[in-house]
Amino acid sequence: MKYIIEAQHVLKQYGAFRALDDVSVAIPRGSVYGLLGPNGAGKTTLIRIMNRITAPDSGRILFDGHDIQPSDVERIGYLPEERGLYKKMRVGEQVLYFAQLKGLSRAEATRRAKEWFVRFRIEEWWGKKVEELSKGMAQKVQFVTTVLHRPELLIFDEPFSGFDPLNAELLKNEMLRLRDEGATIIFSTHNMASVEEVCTHITLINKARNILSGTLDEVRERFGATEVREVVRMSKSMNDIFIEAVGQTNSAL
Amino acid sequence: MSKISIIVAREFNERVRKRSFLITTILTPLLMVGLVGAMIAMMTLRSGDIKRIEVIDASGVVAQELENSGVIEFVPSERSLEEINSYHPDTWGVLTIGADVVDNPSNVQLYTYSSSTLETETSVARAIESVVEAEKLKRYDIENLPRILDEVRTRVQLTAFKVDDSGSKKESSSVLAMGLAYALGFLMYMFVLLYGAQVMNGVIEEKNSKVLEVMVSSVRPFQLMMGKIVGIALVAVTQFVIWVAILAIAGAAMVNTLVPADLLTAAQAGTPAANFSYAELSGFDPDMVAALSNAMDFSYIGKMLAVFLVFFVGGYLLYAGMFAAVGSAVDNVQDSQQFQMPITLPLVLGLIGMINAMQDPTSGMAFWLSIIPFTSPMVMVARVPYGVPAWELILSVALLIVSFIVMVWLAGKIYRVGIFMYGKKPTFRELAKWITYKS
Repeated sequence: MKYIIEAQHVLKQYGAFRALDDVSVAIPRGSVYGLLGPNGAGKTTLIRIMNRITAPDSGRILFDGHDIQPSDVERIGYLPEERGLYKKMRVGEQVLYFAQLKGLSRAEATRRAKEWFVRFRIEEWWGKKVEELSKGMAQKVQFVTTVLHRPELLIFDEPFSGFDPLNAELLKNEMLRLRDEGATIIFSTHNMASVEEVCTHITLINKARNILSGTLDEVRERFGATEVREVVRMSKSMNDIFIEAVGQTNSAL
Repeated sequence: MSKISIIVAREFNERVRKRSFLITTILTPLLMVGLVGAMIAMMTLRSGDIKRIEVIDASGVVAQELENSGVIEFVPSERSLEEINSYHPDTWGVLTIGADVVDNPSNVQLYTYSSSTLETETSVARAIESVVEAEKLKRYDIENLPRILDEVRTRVQLTAFKVDDSGSKKESSSVLAMGLAYALGFLMYMFVLLYGAQVMNGVIEEKNSKVLEVMVSSVRPFQLMMGKIVGIALVAVTQFVIWVAILAIAGAAMVNTLVPADLLTAAQAGTPAANFSYAELSGFDPDMVAALSNAMDFSYIGKMLAVFLVFFVGGYLLYAGMFAAVGSAVDNVQDSQQFQMPITLPLVLGLIGMINAMQDPTSGMAFWLSIIPFTSPMVMVARVPYGVPAWELILSVALLIVSFIVMVWLAGKIYRVGIFMYGKKPTFRELAKWITYKS
């Protein structure tokens, strides 16, 4: 199967507000897929639908070629934009809890979690309560809970927000390492520099619609062709493309 | 392990491991036992205070015949009133009896050194009366007088029986029934309210810490809600079982040390005749003997506890569903006040119905409130100790089950929408609208 997950003509309505309007996206296996768009465009709604947190009003989600099943969520890892852990729970217990809910046995979860704690040098946090952790530490714990069950598909919503540059770098390297191990990564961000650095594909969503999709090169091609900068053979930055594409659809509406 | 049982386990473990759970679980019954023990101890202490009355008897026939009661001791005295007045270390009072007391029974006087009570004065008068009556009877020169007197002495004790549908009758203790009705009904109210609120607070906490979004990417919102509700129910049941165990052990110890052995034997025999004859012999209140006898009837107590657990689980599920829905709709506990009104109102109505049922368990109000699901858990457990027809119990339980299934289903509908709503506090109309949203 070429695509790990596909959204086909997805529509989602909240009361009078249309969050997604006929959105189709196909995420190729092994890609690092950037999900871009202004605040409130519908990115998080699309991510929630892919995670089976909410269901679309119409349209389909295909996972690995079949209509997504409840058990498929065990093959997905999700790091939401609003990070959250049980504050009163101990760190180790918490990691094991989430892993068990993703279908891992307790023993297997313990073994893998210990490895990650060593890798992140946070072994001594195992018995502490989450409320005792700093924000950065809690983020690392949250990252471990996201990847522990070795999901084929990782969905990160604004993964770098709240990390200092050093930890953001660590996180980025871990993401790339997971990609090298075969995982597909979807991540939504406003950080265009990181998009250019790691993404192979992007989709730009604005006002509930998919306005631009493709590989990075395809996207550059389409927008670069009409631009003066082409003369000096300088690629247009993703930042410019973002602003231009959003501007075009906004004025068209 | 299924996902829901993983959630149940976490909710249960996190709560029972808390120090506050351990403290309330152990201390509450000990406090209750201690309180009852202190009350009994105070009562025995009071009766140990015997009033010593010196009797100056000019008639020469009364003093030695006066019968001591539990609290009064009569001591015939050789001294004069003046002598006693000047020196009376352990004497509570002095009774002087005139020489013509048999013909003129009012010629008696009581002098006391501390304030007297009507109760004491009455018992002193009764004691004199019976001696004087006996003296008067003697004047008729009847043969075998003491034997005749013994034979005609009569004491009536009414024994109440509850005749149930099967026609078998059983001695019923209204004292025990009332105590049980009150204890079980009130405990039900407390448990449903406290543990229901725990469900709500748990949901609000998950919402505030944003952990919900991670959770629902692994499990269905309904599983999460049910896991929490069931986990907390297990905490409540655990606490209840520990309480019953502690109370049973402490109660048995208390009964063995404080209750006279022969009373215990009589109560254990448990037959109305045994209770009655013992009560007659000992002067204990027969209803108390019956209460003790009923309390040691394990099938009776066991049935009460089983009914309590069934109604607790049903009532708790009904209310916990509502509490979960409210918790999902708000961002903090303050905002929840307005939505809690429709939850606490029927609970309070149930409490009122329970008190009504204690006084008149067969009244129309008690009947209907024990059938209607929102009040039935409290009112029915208050009625059961008095005996309730089986069909009423079955109807009440069936209605409770149907309504908690409907309620949990509705709550799940509100919950799955509410947990993603932040900011603006919703209205009741919006809550109703969420029910119709597609999942």
